[in-house]
Amino acid sequence: MRAKLLLPAGLLLLAAIAAPGALADNGGFTPVDPESPNAEGIRDSFLFVSIFAVSIFVLVEGLLIAFLIRYRRRRRPRFEDGVQIHGATRLELLWTAFPVVVLFLIGTFVLIELPGITNVPSAGASGQLEVRVTGRQFYWQYEYPNGVIAIDTLRAPAGVPVRLEVVAPDDDVIHSWWIPALGGKIDAIPGTVNETWFEAERPGIYTGQCAELCGVEHAKMLASVEVMPEDEFEAWLAGRREEQTAGTSELGEEEWAGVCAKCHGLAGEGGVGPRLAGSIVLADPEAVESIVRNGRRTMPAVGSGWTDEQIQALTKYLQENPPSGS
Amino acid sequence: MAVRAETQTPAWQRGKVASWLVTTDHKRIGILYIGTSLLFFVLAGLMALAMRIQLAQANADVIGADRYNELVTIHGTAMIFLVVVPILVGFGNFLVPLMIGARDVAFPRLNALSYWLFALGGAVLMLSFFADGGAAKAGWTAYPPLSTETPGNGQDLWILSLHILSAASLAGAINFLVTIHNLRTRGMTWTRMPLFVWSIYVFSWLLIAILPVLSAGLTLLLLDRGISFGPWEVSTSFFDASDGGSAVLYQHAFWFFGHPEVYVMVLPAFGIISEVLPVFARKPIFGYKAVLLSTVAIGFFSMLVWAHHMFTVGLPYSLQAFFMVSSMVIAVPTGVKIFNWLATLWRGNLSFDTPMLFALGFISVFTIGGLSGIYLAAFPIDWQVHDTYFVVAHFHYVLFGGVVFAIFTGLHYWWPKMFGRVLDERLGKWQFWLLFVGFNVAFFPQHMLGLEGMPRRIYTYADESWEGYNLASTVGSWVMGIALLLFFWNVVRTSRSGPRVGNDPWQADTLEWYTTSPPPPHNFDDVPYVTSARPLYDLRRRLREKSDFREL
Repeated sequence: MRAKLLLPAGLLLLAAIAAPGALADNGGFTPVDPESPNAEGIRDSFLFVSIFAVSIFVLVEGLLIAFLIRYRRRRRPRFEDGVQIHGATRLELLWTAFPVVVLFLIGTFVLIELPGITNVPSAGASGQLEVRVTGRQFYWQYEYPNGVIAIDTLRAPAGVPVRLEVVAPDDDVIHSWWIPALGGKIDAIPGTVNETWFEAERPGIYTGQCAELCGVEHAKMLASVEVMPEDEFEAWLAGRREEQTAGTSELGEEEWAGVCAKCHGLAGEGGVGPRLAGSIVLADPEAVESIVRNGRRTMPAVGSGWTDEQIQALTKYLQENPPSGS
Repeated sequence: MAVRAETQTPAWQRGKVASWLVTTDHKRIGILYIGTSLLFFVLAGLMALAMRIQLAQANADVIGADRYNELVTIHGTAMIFLVVVPILVGFGNFLVPLMIGARDVAFPRLNALSYWLFALGGAVLMLSFFADGGAAKAGWTAYPPLSTETPGNGQDLWILSLHILSAASLAGAINFLVTIHNLRTRGMTWTRMPLFVWSIYVFSWLLIAILPVLSAGLTLLLLDRGISFGPWEVSTSFFDASDGGSAVLYQHAFWFFGHPEVYVMVLPAFGIISEVLPVFARKPIFGYKAVLLSTVAIGFFSMLVWAHHMFTVGLPYSLQAFFMVSSMVIAVPTGVKIFNWLATLWRGNLSFDTPMLFALGFISVFTIGGLSGIYLAAFPIDWQVHDTYFVVAHFHYVLFGGVVFAIFTGLHYWWPKMFGRVLDERLGKWQFWLLFVGFNVAFFPQHMLGLEGMPRRIYTYADESWEGYNLASTVGSWVMGIALLLFFWNVVRTSRSGPRVGNDPWQADTLEWYTTSPPPPHNFDDVPYVTSARPLYDLRRRLREKSDFREL
């Protein structure tokens, strides 16, 4: 009777573990494909740990199932004693030492991999790029050495180490910078300067998002890194610098989409924040500046510390592209 | 010997309800703890189901962002402080005096106070949904500055509730310690004490060590939020960077409490498993002293690992390496336990009653939670998976797959002792299989979601490639819901018609099975002299040797 239960039990266990994998359209039990040496070091560590984790899993579950089948009651009387064994010191020592060895190997491997993950590779011919990443409710702001500012999408050159200084303003909350394909995450903490880096070989768009609960629209705090061939990137950076001074850059649009629209809707139709379409405030640059710089009721001061260039980019964009509401 | 002045109970205290309200009987208080926790379990479980519905599809808008953050915060806080810990305290209350052959706990009235403080703290937390601005929404970890900047009273009530619950836990912990030190029956030396009592002993020391640190952190948080008392207003900036404070300081205080808190929950669960496996294997626990020492070791090391929750705040690498090593050290005594449990099954005479099924389920899923913990301890890997669904999967494997499975082990096992009637086996087995399958379907895919980049605590996601795993997870959560309904149906159905099974239906080894089911208010008419860790086994053997003994 009870023996009959064991087969379905084993099958169910297998099904339970296999079903979600079969259901899903992609991926498996490994991190996303790394596109940067630091993400590669992390992935290698993950795979190294997996060798032991999977072996121990098979060992423990295998022994468990084997014992359940082998030592089940069958026709013995229900309360008949099993073999009265109280312990075995040698076995205890063995299975204390065995995990110690495994964990020693894992710890050693991780520490060997560590420099490759943390140390920015020495710069090649074209040097390295430094970008200041500021996490704010609920957007990412990037500042390039030449003063170019971008929101949410970070453009970067391929094959060049990019050092990121990750911060949050004093009056903001904690965020966490994370692009899975380009390495681990690092928190953006008010009052602290953290650092990380990546070096992407292949052009492409790599996405991620804020990984530390930062308030109501935390889920919308997406980030992406657009890696371009180096010459294309240089051209973009120089062009953007000129446009920003001239007031013709895409910064205003990026600010609307990244800073305003997450709460007020891309067409100003409203969301967590009130509907903006048709609001007379939008036509008044000074009113917009005051609200953006200081916040209002539950709205955080999303633009505290913005340069005049940034403010003007937004007000200009709003005047030229008043939100339609739908 | 304590001298007890017998007084007549006033008439008003003898009613069916009133007698429960004024009780100082550890067994009734234990049952009150368990019953109240199960009520909170239903509430916090419904919150989880609501969140899973919201996450079943990309870009869904079933519950708003703000409400989602409230649910995520209160679900976590409630499951830890109002469900898992108090239900284990309930087992401790009911069982510790019985297992050590005592009349009651050392301070029965303090015990009652603990329970009522717990009930009050729970009510404050649940009712905070109706506060100005809604319930707390900064996550169960309540990191500042987010938690200090949130307007409304929800966060303040959250702090108040945790302060009340901490006071309840501290009083309870002291009560357990004094009881275990002083009220053990004749012959019950430290190494003859049931392993569940040992786990409650270490659990109590841990609570006393860590709760004051949490309380300090929460008080600073409250002061940072600002309090006013008549004309006085206090507003500090311990965690406010714009005024020289440090947000990371709070995280240290919180996790110095928060990580040992995991073991506060897991150790009594281990204790339950160590009691139940030998009974259904008809063997003594393999390596009693090794299991005992591993409990003490886990308790000690759990206080040295807290910063592995903070690998992404930018600590020096040398410090991160230290916390990696200390976290891995904990895996050793945990492994010792798993191997000893397996060895307990070896050459046994195994019966698969519902408590045994849950105990075996515990071993099989807790192992997965332990193994995913190794990934998290290796700090560069943690940089990748920290604060993602990988972590959500990990701690649900530990806390649900581990502790809640152990709780159902205990409920099915000790139910006949508590109420005199067994739960229905057929319903119990259905509950187990549905819960086991539903749990794995709900939580295993979350490992993959985390690895693919889905952070925890997001109310929606735009990436449609995450939908498959999320939908599986949601479906699994419904299956779990059905399993839990079956449990409550089982309780209702057997409460009147369940068979009465006598003192010792499982032929178990520990003292609580020596007395009647349910036990009388004074617990024991007499207690046999304890000569080993299995007093009833010894007793049965002596009786059998004496000749015509059949069954107790």
